[in-house]
Amino acid sequence: MMRLSLLLALLTLALMAVSVALGPVPFDLAAAIGDLLAGRPTLEALVLADLRIPRAVLGAAVGFSLGLTGAALQGLMRNPLADPGVVGVSGAAALGAVLAFYFGWSSVFALALPLGGLVGAGLSTALLLMLARRGASTATLILAGVALNSLAGALTALALNLAPSPYAALEVVFWLMGSLSERSLQHVGLALPFMAIGWVLVLATGRAMDALTLGEDTAQSLGFSLRRTRLLVVGGAAACVGASVAVAGAIGFVGLVVPHLLRPLIGHRPGRLLVVSGLAGAALTLGADILVRLIPTRPELKLGVVTALIGAPVFLVLLRRLRLDGE
Amino acid sequence: MGATRTLFLCLALGGGLWAAVGAPAQAGVRVASLNLCGDELLLRLADRSDVASVTWLARDPRGSTVADLARTVPVNRGLAEEVAAEKPDLVLAGAFTTRTTTAMLRRLNVPVMELTVPESLGEVYAQIEAVAARLGVPERGARMIADMKQAFETLPSATHPAPTALVLRPNGFTAGRGSLADEILTRAGLDNLAARLSPDRLGQLSLEEIVAAKPDLVIINGAEDAPPSLADELLRHPALAPYAAQGRLVSLPPRLWACAGPQLAEAAQRLAAARRRVAP
Repeated sequence: MMRLSLLLALLTLALMAVSVALGPVPFDLAAAIGDLLAGRPTLEALVLADLRIPRAVLGAAVGFSLGLTGAALQGLMRNPLADPGVVGVSGAAALGAVLAFYFGWSSVFALALPLGGLVGAGLSTALLLMLARRGASTATLILAGVALNSLAGALTALALNLAPSPYAALEVVFWLMGSLSERSLQHVGLALPFMAIGWVLVLATGRAMDALTLGEDTAQSLGFSLRRTRLLVVGGAAACVGASVAVAGAIGFVGLVVPHLLRPLIGHRPGRLLVVSGLAGAALTLGADILVRLIPTRPELKLGVVTALIGAPVFLVLLRRLRLDGE
Repeated sequence: MGATRTLFLCLALGGGLWAAVGAPAQAGVRVASLNLCGDELLLRLADRSDVASVTWLARDPRGSTVADLARTVPVNRGLAEEVAAEKPDLVLAGAFTTRTTTAMLRRLNVPVMELTVPESLGEVYAQIEAVAARLGVPERGARMIADMKQAFETLPSATHPAPTALVLRPNGFTAGRGSLADEILTRAGLDNLAARLSPDRLGQLSLEEIVAAKPDLVIINGAEDAPPSLADELLRHPALAPYAAQGRLVSLPPRLWACAGPQLAEAAQRLAAARRRVAP
């Protein structure tokens, strides 16, 4: 597992480097890094520091958050289809962020943007866990996700239609599909602290997750508090996903696909799956963001389009396999 | 922003029924406008008593250059029902906006004059002339055109080579070749970089392309007090901060060059003044 983590970490770093090297204008990366380190305010240094580095860092951090949260929700609910996008956590986070941003709260108090996302994500995660606690089947969970997603999507569209800016209604695509285009260091500064707190909270549940595979009673008899584990995952998922969505929109399917790709390599140890899922999520998101920039469309494709193109077929295959298992 | 808001106005339109046809006979023509650019020409050219109504957008100083004048006349929200009830002799409408209302008014036999979006100063003068003629005040139109031409003539003379400029609108849109904004930049003695970078009239550029093009001036074409949106947030991206620090960032409200009228000359004067700051 250490080797896999190391490999994925190296892949993520390599993709971050590619992401930084890639952009609409030809660019001398070595000179830019030199200028930036020497504090020379050249054009290259400006492009690197204000446009390319924020994009790569956010891509990695958002991907890590989504992959990690996906693995944690799947482990906690013992349900292979739990994913922040599918079960409506990302959608609710987008609603919270939209309310904070378009109605001017975040221009008065900058932290209102990630906090709005956090509240939306937190409420929806708590709601889903209440459902899952009463032993909800996969079907119930997915249906609850469908309901939450469409409610959050509709309310987001309503909020954008009522927002005072004439552009707001056109920007619903960003919030539902996600994008890393033209983000800045300010976005990194707003979101990264919340994401980091979320990572710590979720990663702290690793051993409890492993114990949970033996059943809730056994896990409790082994000394793991279910209440504490649930609280950590709800709080961690809210912080990670809320902050991610607040700056990059709701990027779908990363949290769903990644744990499934890695599970065969890890064995069924959900605790171990957490870190590697985060790393693979970062690599997948960065890869998708690189692809978005290589496809010559104008304006560039939304990130969620690419992740959905990868994720939706995997989702369908999963559904089919689950049904076969059930028979 | 004015054009976009007008677009929204038209999207918000419903229909209405009006049975009575035929305007009461009276001396002046009673005119209503369904389009912000129509509002501006109508309020500038016609007597106040001849204005049946203008759009509510005309009262918003963020998008309108005639907000004060618009407070003295009734406003409509672009609905066929309310405009028809005013029994106007003529309705000014945008060629691309309020299509359903325009069609409804035509069915009710209300004369409609459609205003296109002018793409050059020549088209601007032609539009002013045509509207003034329909309003029965050709001499006021001729005076407006003469004043504008004079203002353009008296702009400070251009330097060689002309400083380069890039217009940045919300969402990264720019003013490309063959647009009215392009002609005004040229008249103000600026070399529009977007005419080279972007193939179409309303090209979209990434911030990286804008910064890499190294324009002498970046012209921010957005209202400073606009309500929050991702589109406007782009105009405040930190990558543009060095331009602001060097005084090479000019803010030009979109209302100054969205419509035909004397405000176009003011836009050119402000641009020429900014040009003299970077290339004295």
